[in-house]
Amino acid sequence: MLDVRDLTFHYPGGARWQFQFTLAPGECLAVAGPSGSGKSTLMNLLAGFLTPDAGSIQWRGRELVGTPPWARPMTSVFQEHNLFEHLDVTTNLGLGMDPGLRLTARQRQRIADGLKALGLEGFGQRMPGDLSGGQRQRVAVLRALLRDQPILLLDEPLTGLDPEARALLRDLLLAQKAEGRLLVLASHDAEDRDVLADRLLPV
Amino acid sequence: MPQAPFRHPAWLIGPGLAAAGILLVMTVAGLAALFWQAPLPALAELWQQPYLRRVLTFTLWQATLSTLLSLAVGLAVAMALARRAVFPGRGLLLRLMELSLVLPTIVAVSGLIGVFGRQGWLTRLADGWLPGWNLYGLGGILLAHVFFNAPLAGRLLLQALESVPAPRRRIASQLGLRGRWLWLALDWPAIRRVLPGITALVFTLCFTSFAIIMTLGGGPASTTLEVAIYQSLRFEFDFGRAALLAVVQLALCGLLWLLLVRRAPTRGLAPDRRLPEPIRRPDQGGLRALRDRALLLVFSLFLVMPLAAVLIRGLPGLTGMFLQGGAPLATLWHATLRSFAIALPAGLMSVLAALCLLALGNRGGRYLAPLSPLTTAIPLMVPPIVLGTGLFLLLRPSLGDAAQGMALVALINGLMALPFVAQLLRGPLNSLDAASLRQADQLGLLGWYRWRWLYWPKLKQPLALALAYGIALSLGDFGVIALFGAPQEPTLPVLLFQQLGSYRTEQASGTALWLGLMLLLVFLSLGRLGQPKAGRPATTLSTTRVHHA
Repeated sequence: MLDVRDLTFHYPGGARWQFQFTLAPGECLAVAGPSGSGKSTLMNLLAGFLTPDAGSIQWRGRELVGTPPWARPMTSVFQEHNLFEHLDVTTNLGLGMDPGLRLTARQRQRIADGLKALGLEGFGQRMPGDLSGGQRQRVAVLRALLRDQPILLLDEPLTGLDPEARALLRDLLLAQKAEGRLLVLASHDAEDRDVLADRLLPV
Repeated sequence: MPQAPFRHPAWLIGPGLAAAGILLVMTVAGLAALFWQAPLPALAELWQQPYLRRVLTFTLWQATLSTLLSLAVGLAVAMALARRAVFPGRGLLLRLMELSLVLPTIVAVSGLIGVFGRQGWLTRLADGWLPGWNLYGLGGILLAHVFFNAPLAGRLLLQALESVPAPRRRIASQLGLRGRWLWLALDWPAIRRVLPGITALVFTLCFTSFAIIMTLGGGPASTTLEVAIYQSLRFEFDFGRAALLAVVQLALCGLLWLLLVRRAPTRGLAPDRRLPEPIRRPDQGGLRALRDRALLLVFSLFLVMPLAAVLIRGLPGLTGMFLQGGAPLATLWHATLRSFAIALPAGLMSVLAALCLLALGNRGGRYLAPLSPLTTAIPLMVPPIVLGTGLFLLLRPSLGDAAQGMALVALINGLMALPFVAQLLRGPLNSLDAASLRQADQLGLLGWYRWRWLYWPKLKQPLALALAYGIALSLGDFGVIALFGAPQEPTLPVLLFQQLGSYRTEQASGTALWLGLMLLLVFLSLGRLGQPKAGRPATTLSTTRVHHA
């Protein structure tokens, strides 16, 4: 269970936000609101990129506030800039599993299988700049899944994709929900929210 | 998740703190030794001594004239280049203008002698037209200073001119602004911002010039502070006077630094490969175009001819040395080995120190980060010869064999290259965007892993270039080595100076060419080292290399 209580944050001289919700495994919470309403702020607070003024984030009874981003049980997918542009697809994926890139044969096999499942077979040696937007986003989601973290933070992950890529990634995310992963989705798109989310958090 | 080696935040600031500490201690110790040898009250009597007054007056006079001439030529060339954003050979001319940063002064002087000397090409061509022309003296000093500093000033001014936002340039073009109005609307506002800094930078470089004065000064009448320090230390053994002169030098350079140089656009010290958006200026046609072409041609010839002289005059000398063998060749080999024995550690030291100091600047927080710009700028504030004099006085009794002297020269040469090297690395080191850093944080790419996967691919080429610059600056050094080196064990620049001084012109030309070739070798080999292998992307994970955990 992810338990967010009285999580408050303000930018110096800017607006002040407060978030509160709980989420069970296998659930998807859609955070909805206009631009600047704080959707990305919540995502960054959960991921540990921002430090809250007060409040708590508890995962299975463990307090996450104060835990650095790399030690949190979550992984993020943003609308763009998810990949290291100077590293090829396989390296980008491998770094998600082991930052030292000392991959076992099994881990390499998982990368190959993942690429195949997402229609990216043979793309392993390509650079992110050589991929289309949909292909890049598929690689980003695949890396998030390969990290085997229980919580997925999805910040406009499907925005700007073509219908085919959108449908493929939606199915993939629904499968993750079914496996018990917990999804926090920030999206402008009502259709994405309808398909993926169980609950709505207006901000 | 596996723990990354060197992940503790202390690794990001610790080495930088150590480097800053060493540099500061070295500087403070050197300066303390100076003040110890030259007690302050003596400074007040400085102006009473005719010798010192003459030296100081000449130093200021030649630096002022050199600065004015360099800026005038640099501005004219920058304006011509700004008006002509596209023409065949423009890139080559800009590369040539960058060369002044690394070309050893003594090599350039040898080339200038080949063109403007008594037997030089132009002097013979202008036979009788220039009565009284003598390269040795103020004329030669000014010529050499313009050769080195006009390209630098030109590049910095051109950068300022090209930094004018494209929309403003388009509007000026649309309005058809010309002459004074174009200057007032477009050029002057851009130049005005950087001119004081550039003036101070060029003045400092001319003020602290050593090799040019030593070779082209032509006698005691053209003695500057740096040369006077050298003479006091090496020939007169008057350490008190050397210290006093060094203190005066430090005071003037420090003052200039505080007032102006620190605001100079030092990014121009590093080569720039960006191309401006070519927007047609209303004043680039007609007679002006002809004048610009003529100016750029003359300026190109001014830069190329001494280099050509080094090549053409050097070839017979160098071939002769290799064919005849014997003592001259052995001396050349030994000087080459000695030069590299100093330059390689100096280059490595400057690159390592720059990396550590830049990391400290990025991660040191409010209190420690300011140490980074302060220490990387030490050589611009404290001329190497001043620091060298201080350290010489400090270590004199214990500075035993030649190896110790060479180690000290390498240390000071490394320090001397620091501002240039840091400038080359600063951009690439700071080029990681917030999104990449956020990803890296989440993926646990910390410590060694962050360096290996994020920084190394971006820094590989700049590091090779920075190392090449560090090595090149040390290879061409003829300042600190003159102070600490033993004349019977010369480096290449010292050997060249000795040959020029004893009128062994053919050997000198050969040595100059050889030194130029060594520099070329350094840049070519390190340039190749930094390039990604053909057919492979920048960084890949080989699918065949499996590590079984």
